[in-house]
Order: sequence, then C-alpha cells, then structure tokens
Amino acid sequence: MELRSALRQAALARPAVLTAVLPGATRARLAVERELGDRRWPHAPSPAAADLLVLVGSPREEAPAWLDGTWTALAEPRALVRIDDPPGARAALDAGHAALLRGAAGPERQRARKDPGPYVPGNGGPVRDDGRTPGPTGHHGGHDRADGSAAHSHDTPALISGLPLAERADDRDGLRLDRLHVPFGPVLPDWPAGLVLRLTLQGDVVQEVTGVEVVEAAPAPRPPFWDEPWRQAAAGAPVSRGAAARRRCAAHLDSLGRFLAVADWPDAAARARRLRDAALAGAPARELAHAVERLTRRVGRSRTLRWLTSGIGVLPREQALAAGIGGPALAADGDAWDRTVRWLTEAARSAAACDDPRPLAPDDPAGPRGGLAGRCPPSRALLDVLPPLLRGAELAAARLTLASLDPDPDELAPVAAGEVTRG
Amino acid sequence: MADSAPLWTAAALPVLLVPAALAVACADARSAAPAREVLRLLVQQPRRTVAADTLATRTGTVLLPVAAVLAAAVVPLGSTPVSDLGDGVVWFNAMEALAWAAVWLAGWGPGSTLSAVGGYRFLAQGLAYEIPHMLALTTAALGAGSLRVTEIADAQRGLWFAVWMPAAFALYLLSAAAMAFWGPFGQPAGRDLARGVASELTGADRLLLLGGRRLLLLTSAAMAVPLFLGGGHGPLLPGWAWTLVKTGAVLALLLWLRRRLPGVRMDRYTELAWVVLTPLAVLQALVVAVVVLP
Repeated sequence: MELRSALRQAALARPAVLTAVLPGATRARLAVERELGDRRWPHAPSPAAADLLVLVGSPREEAPAWLDGTWTALAEPRALVRIDDPPGARAALDAGHAALLRGAAGPERQRARKDPGPYVPGNGGPVRDDGRTPGPTGHHGGHDRADGSAAHSHDTPALISGLPLAERADDRDGLRLDRLHVPFGPVLPDWPAGLVLRLTLQGDVVQEVTGVEVVEAAPAPRPPFWDEPWRQAAAGAPVSRGAAARRRCAAHLDSLGRFLAVADWPDAAARARRLRDAALAGAPARELAHAVERLTRRVGRSRTLRWLTSGIGVLPREQALAAGIGGPALAADGDAWDRTVRWLTEAARSAAACDDPRPLAPDDPAGPRGGLAGRCPPSRALLDVLPPLLRGAELAAARLTLASLDPDPDELAPVAAGEVTRG
Repeated sequence: MADSAPLWTAAALPVLLVPAALAVACADARSAAPAREVLRLLVQQPRRTVAADTLATRTGTVLLPVAAVLAAAVVPLGSTPVSDLGDGVVWFNAMEALAWAAVWLAGWGPGSTLSAVGGYRFLAQGLAYEIPHMLALTTAALGAGSLRVTEIADAQRGLWFAVWMPAAFALYLLSAAAMAFWGPFGQPAGRDLARGVASELTGADRLLLLGGRRLLLLTSAAMAVPLFLGGGHGPLLPGWAWTLVKTGAVLALLLWLRRRLPGVRMDRYTELAWVVLTPLAVLQALVVAVVVLP
C-alpha cells in the first residue's frame, strides 16, 4: 500500500491541466498560464487527458451545463478548481493539486464515489426531462442524448444507447452523406474564451455554422484586458503611448501564440507566448523589438507555414469593411497568412515603441482588434463574419481561419457598471 | 549474410524498444515529462463514452504497438535482425499498413466526432505518403537486388544508398514521420482536434496509442539505417554501435525538423505527394534501375 501511494504521488506530481476560460478572464488566464509554465504542469488537450480542470473566470450561473459536461468527461482521479483573480492562481492550483492527491489517496475513497457512468461525447452533462442536454459543452461528439427511458424512445425510433442516429443530406459534391450537428467549444485547446460554434459537419467539412455563441459570464470587474489602455485614455485617464504599444504588442503575440498552436507548430507558439509574457512583464523596448524580430524571421519567412495557410479564410478588404471589421484583419486584406504577417509587423512596430512616454491621445481608440469608438466592439464583427467564412471549409482550415481572426470574447462580456474607467 | 538472432531475442525486442522509445520521447520534449506521463496514465482509471465500440478501440490501441514491434523484428541491430526474412522489406511495409487499421479503429471506437475525424485524417495521410514511401523502399531493394533487409545493408559496404539515392532517402524520412503520425505529420492527433484519435482515450488505451506511435517512429527511423545508411557497417565500432549511432542521427534530424515546421495538412500535402513526390520517386527508381540492371 505504501508503494502504491508513493506511485500515485509520483504520477500526479505534475498533473495535466485542462483550462476552461470564460469571457472577461484574460488577466486570470495569463496568470494561470504563467503559473503552469513555472510549475511545468502539462496542458491537457481534452478532458480525457486531464487530471485537473481549472475554471478561469466566473460563470453567470453557479454550475453551467457545459461545465458539468466537461467535468463528467474527466477520468478519475480528478479535481476541479476555480480561479477568478490573477493573484489567486497560485493558491488555487495548490489547492487543486492537494485535492487531487487526496482524491487519489486510497481505493476506499474511490469505491465510495458514485460512478459517473459512461460519458457522452458532445455533451455528457446532466440530462433534462426532454432528453436534451441543457447547453453546449466543451466537447465534441455528434449527438444529443436522449435520456434513454422507454417514455422517450418511442418518439425517436432511431436511437442507439439513447443517441439519435445521424441524419443525411447532400454534401458539396452532391453525395448523400451523414450529417452531424456538433457544438465546438467552449473547452478546446487554443480556442477563444467561452466561444461555442454550432457546426453542421459532413465528415470533416463544415456544411454550415448554425450558431455563434459566447457562454455567459458574470460581469467582469474591469474592461477587456487587451483594450484597457485605449479605454482608459478615452475616459480621460493619463496613459502613455508606450503602455498602449506594449499592450498591442502583447495582444498580437497572444493571438500569434494561439494561431501557431492551432497550426501545430508548438515550438513557435511557445516562443510567441514567452515573448508575450516578457512584453507584459515590462521588458525594455530594444530587447523586445529584437526578440520579436527573431520571431518574425522564424515564422514570417517560413515557406511551409505560408504554403499551408495561404488561401485559407480569405477576407478581402471590401468584405471586411462591409462586415464592420477593423484592425489587422482589415489591413491584411487577404487570407490567414496575410493576417499572420500583419500581426508580426504590427507586433514588431509596437515593440519598438514600448518605452514611448508621450501621452496617448484620447481620440485614438484603435485597439489591437480595431476601433473601439463604435457602438459594436471589434470582436463582434469578427464573430459575425465567421458563418460565411467557415462554410465549406475543412475542420483544420476552419480552426485556422478562426485563429487567424482571433476574436476576443472579453469584448462581448458584460462589465460591471461604474468600473469601466478604473485602472 | 547474417542469420536470424536466437529465439530469445524476440522476447527481448519489446523490452529494448520500449525504453528506447521513451528516451526518444523525452529527448523530443526536452524533459522527463513523457516518463511522468506514462506513470500518470497508469494510475488513471479508464472512462468510457456512451455507445463506444470498445472492441474497436481496444483492437486499435493494442494493434499499434504490436505492429511497431513486429515491424522492428526485421530491422537488424548490427548485422542481425530478430528475424531475417527473405522478404523483410515487404514484411516491414505490411506491418506499417497495419497501423492504418489500428489508428482508424482507435479513432472510430469512442464514437466521438473529433476522434473519428482524427482516424480518417490518418487514412488521408496514408493515401498521400504511402506511394512515395513504397517507391522509396522499392528503390533501396532494387539497388541491392534483394528484399532481404540484411542483404540491402550488405550491398552498401562501399557506398551508402543515401548518397546515390538521395531522393529516395529524403522521401523515406518524410514518410517515417508520416507513418508514425508524429511531428509535422501529427495531424491525425492534431492539436486543433484536441489530439484527434487520442482525444477520448484515457489510461492504458491512451498509453498504448501514444506509446505505439513513439515505437513506430523509432522503428521507422531505425529502418532507415539498413535501407540507406549502410546498416551496421563502419570503421572501428562494432556493428550494433553503428546501428545505434546512425539511428540516433536520423532521430536527431527528425526532431530538429519538428522544431522548424508547422503541422502539414493532408489537403495540401496530398497534392504535393501526387504531383511532385511520386514522379520524383519513380524517377529515382528509374535511375537506380538503369545503374543496377546491366
């Protein structure tokens, strides 16, 4: 028994962490990512691979259905922690780790637990009386679950273990193929916080985007992290141009990190994220500009990345303007590769201006994703353009398109009244 | 020509391969994380998905490492493989083809979209890499005039095949990564699919699939040595040491490439494979045929 317990301790010394990030929680997410990096705890790509589920931010309801679904999908031993403020990250992860070790302590405890039963990919949350799960979940899978009781099965005859069979429809080549309705998000690796895309898939081709939603979060105490300097300046607070440039540089590096991770280039993604953290930690402009220049050489001159990302998610200038898109996505006037290059260029330019002490003009509300002066936040337009852009794309291309636009759901999250201008 | 090794080596083969594959994984991660991961997956309790085809999943996850080890049986360490089959190259290729079935079954079994898409991605990958790969294998066999792996290695006493069949060697290296769906060719278990075929696997199933992938990478890198790099032949060192050194060099090259390249999507790569790489492979085979056949 001693050996067994020691083995468990060793196995869970660095638990794999799955983060479920809510809109409005970018500050906390960055803190958690830094902390995980320091501890060298691996990131889990899916619930099946995770030991510790970390909920970053506060949901509007206490226990939203998607969270239940994700939690059910974790295998034992498992633990859940919640982090909604950056300084609390360290203590919360320690608590989660302790709970995990406690939970894994002995077989008695394991047996005492209720068997959660098999997991339904695609939802897996608690099932309502109408036989449908109440909300989107982190995971994939193609089916809505009926509750499996006899009372319902006669309504929908084609059920297997309570799951309806896929329907059929013509695909883009006129073949009659299975069609699945799959929610993507909100818990996927390198995915915008809390975003749920409802996709109709045939094979790995997106036939249609039937819904673009963002899960509901509690009102955030502060304005969106990436837009903060411009919002503050617009509200009359003194903000230096350097601080704004630093934030823009970090925002683009964050987007690049996500895009490169989706493009399955972990080495380059890790570099971009290290640079992002360095920018936010106040690295001197010269040093930062030099490092961004090196990243640009590696990524911006990669023929392979160019070959793989050009022609994907083409968004010409006119279409972008019509959709109300500003910022790099408009300026890039092209495909995923053009937007990547645009981010690199803007990040390099901003890095060089990081120590500019002159005050930011209050009438210059050009945030990292576009103008902030309008009625709609720039990310709204980026999300609205997704259904036409993703139609007919393969899943890999769809994910690259989304990552190359990188809407920031923080901009759509409610902000607590009276707190907008606070620093 | 060498004989097969004694029978006990068949049992020793997996015992040798598993730690070696783990070492490669650690070198890839530049840390001991994969070793911890093995331990973590061993204590993790399995979790099922609803209406999962458990038989398919199990078959797939078990088949992958088994196929890798069976493929390794014809790879000579020094000059002696576990089994010196007369048509070793065909055996090797057949065992890799088993991996197609294994990955597809493991992806299909859990009944989850991301997992199934991952499985199908590997089939698409197979369509793209397999033809140039088979032509590369054929070219090496043609150069030696034999399908026996040890004879192919012996035919390179004077000059390595990598030197005078560079295209075949390069194509073999690409397909070595592709058949192990690793690195730039890791899309079947891609990050955009939350690890695709592995996305729903827990505990031992996950360990077998991801470990099998490492074994396959190790085996296919090791096979490059007798096929193109002169096998165990070399000065000073004994044959087995040369095999290890050369395998290490091939793996180091692959790991280095991994850091330079993003994931390669098959919708783009298939075009390259059929329009450029396959004709290139045919041309290389033709050149070798003209040189070898009097």
